[in-house]
Amino acid sequence: MSEFEDLTWNKLLQEFGKSLENAIEHLENRDIENIPGAKDALIQRLNDMKLIFPKNNGDIFIKSINDNIQNAFFPNTKTFSEAFEKILKSRTHEQDFIINELLNGFVSSKAKAIASGTQGPIIDRMVEAFSKRNDFHIVDHQFFAMFGDPNKPRHYVRKQLEELINMFGLISEELVVEKDVRTSEQKTYTFYTFPDDIIKLLEEKYLIIDQELGYAYVSDAFDRNVFICMFLANIAINRDDMEKIGGAYTINGISAIFALIILLSFLPKISVDETNPILNDPNYDEANMSIIPKSWMMKQVLESLFEPLIKIIAYRLGGGLWLSKIIGSEVNRKIMNQIRFLIKDVNKWILGQLVRVEIPIFISIGNILTEVLVGYKED
Amino acid sequence: MSYKKKSTRTVKSGRKREKWTDLFPRYLTFISHMRPILRETRRIIINLDADLLLDTEILDKIRQEEEKRNIRKVRALSEFSAMYRSNIYEIIKDFIIKYREKIPIIDIKDYIVDFLYEAVNALNVLRHITNPDEANLEDTYLYNITKFIEARLFPRGANLKIIYEKLLKFSQNFYECQRHTLQPHTYYREILESPDYFEIPGVSPKVYQIINNIISLFNLDPNFGEFPEKENYEIPMILKGDIFLPYIDSIANAEEEATESIAERLGLRLIDNIFLAPNEDLVKILLDNNFLRESKQSDGKIRLYPQFSNETLLLYYLAFASQRRGFLSKELINWISMNFAFLIYMGILKWKLSDENILYPIFKDLQTNEKVLPYLMKLICFPNYLGLDKMKIRDSPQYRKEIFNFMGAEIDNLKNLISEIADFCEKFDKERKNN
Repeated sequence: MSEFEDLTWNKLLQEFGKSLENAIEHLENRDIENIPGAKDALIQRLNDMKLIFPKNNGDIFIKSINDNIQNAFFPNTKTFSEAFEKILKSRTHEQDFIINELLNGFVSSKAKAIASGTQGPIIDRMVEAFSKRNDFHIVDHQFFAMFGDPNKPRHYVRKQLEELINMFGLISEELVVEKDVRTSEQKTYTFYTFPDDIIKLLEEKYLIIDQELGYAYVSDAFDRNVFICMFLANIAINRDDMEKIGGAYTINGISAIFALIILLSFLPKISVDETNPILNDPNYDEANMSIIPKSWMMKQVLESLFEPLIKIIAYRLGGGLWLSKIIGSEVNRKIMNQIRFLIKDVNKWILGQLVRVEIPIFISIGNILTEVLVGYKED
Repeated sequence: MSYKKKSTRTVKSGRKREKWTDLFPRYLTFISHMRPILRETRRIIINLDADLLLDTEILDKIRQEEEKRNIRKVRALSEFSAMYRSNIYEIIKDFIIKYREKIPIIDIKDYIVDFLYEAVNALNVLRHITNPDEANLEDTYLYNITKFIEARLFPRGANLKIIYEKLLKFSQNFYECQRHTLQPHTYYREILESPDYFEIPGVSPKVYQIINNIISLFNLDPNFGEFPEKENYEIPMILKGDIFLPYIDSIANAEEEATESIAERLGLRLIDNIFLAPNEDLVKILLDNNFLRESKQSDGKIRLYPQFSNETLLLYYLAFASQRRGFLSKELINWISMNFAFLIYMGILKWKLSDENILYPIFKDLQTNEKVLPYLMKLICFPNYLGLDKMKIRDSPQYRKEIFNFMGAEIDNLKNLISEIADFCEKFDKERKNN
């Protein structure tokens, strides 16, 4: 069915329009801003969005999600290496912060997901284990020797390791030693490494292959985010397979993360009086930061904006299957609430003002809206 | 009457080597074995005809000969020396194989000699880092570097306000290091609410998230209530329940139950068991540093509006821990002393070794680290340095493995601090020589 006949899409756009109205109503009733004009700028922006977003069949959403979000974080492909390459190439220092903070604070709060509680250090451990060898492999025995606790059964560490191996899409090879020197018994060592096509991609920056010495060792750039990129690539290519990606929770989590990125990108910059103390704060850098209104973080405003926005993202990323998993349950509402407190390093508080660090993804999504707005005003 | 000799030991077994005069020689043991190996290797390379280096088998033979000369009786030491020597030779061999087609062998030889020279110099500093009897304390590297780092990450002061302001002064450049100092990697071993009420644990990722929630809630839409200690003033308050609202499946139950203890470490207090509000000390600090703004209301009351930054409450936690450094949890003491020892060690290496020195990996190797850092950790716990309880430093190899494995995973900000320490060492050394 073409976009023009898609009834679900139209319904989602309408719902978002209504949510904007609700948010504007809440904003008009309360003022928590202390910068003159901040609240008005936010209301103006929401009004603009209400007017412009439904136009051309929700073209702004389609462009922002298809061209920016998907390209940078969630490529629409079935090939693992292609997805991984796109995510890896869009990495910037600040973008890493977003992904790390979001996944740590959000997707991770569920046991099955990445980086939760005890699994967090395990990703760091994988980085360390790969760094310690010069053949770009890790071995289960070595992993246990480095991180295992002699007082706990070995299968604990091995089980956690295997879980991560599956989550990231690493491959394993077995080496059978017929007679172990110490026990004189047969012993099997399991080596884990990256698939060949991924290794080729890593060679550019993350992996140094020394042909003369026959070594393959990781560079300083090899970090936990390489694994997180693999995690995202794995979910992106298996988006139609609910079991493989961890079910409704992952879908809600990923959609909410991207909804937050979209929302942050569309927020207006606030100009402040030259006497405002924030301009003298050493942590504020006018060149790559901007003050944004904080009223959008009010529970009532965010809750009304977020649910339809999450649905829009879910629909664009995974069609009807993903949309059907976004349920307005109590748990999901709590998750939406949690989103308010994420991404502290790219979206920080300075002297009570919310500051957005202008990273490429925010700028490129923000530009889509600005261009349309300028065109609309000219017309 | 029993003729059995009474033990004169008054401390637990395993804790007998805790005096400065016991610990310092142990710190020196491995360093004093590393230096001769490097010096000897340098002498051999200098005396060797450059062309002979092209044949790596010659290096193997030299190493075998050197190993035969090993006369050390202590097994651990002779094993370590063999490992250390073989690592040095392997690195030199790899360097020759890698560059013999690209660089003239005479230059390769010069490079190797230079690298070995730098490494010997670094070990020289590590060897003379302090005095066996702590004499002329102010003139030693250990004392000065520890104080340099302490001023930035864990300063001392007569009161919380002084400590907080010292931290704030350096937070622009080193906030991430300050945050790192409070976040042990072994947070899963911490108890949020210890039976010993005074014990201060490190900040776990979840507690860090909760601190962020608190900051956001204060900035967004706080309630206001009477300032108990000051008439006619109103302080900001947030609902305790709001902080834990986002958590599902009781994942923050432990933190919720320990709210009062966590709040105390952040300078907050519970009012009516519902609201969280800053205590009197914190209010003073916040007012003086522009994190609270006074505004006169129409009813004549003065309302204190919060304008917190990301670091506002975390620095209070750090200042609180610094002031009560005698009451830190075992995990936090191990973490702080390990980070200080690591920074001192890396700072000296950065100062003495050039960035391209091929011997860097040996110094950063876990096997070398675990021989040097544990004793350095204990030395810097002495009262003249950090003044932490060195009895809480764990000696178990398993625990060392657990925390040392993460030393490689440095954050970028730590690298900046290491560079500053290296610059400071250079400056200090010059001043010392001039005097």
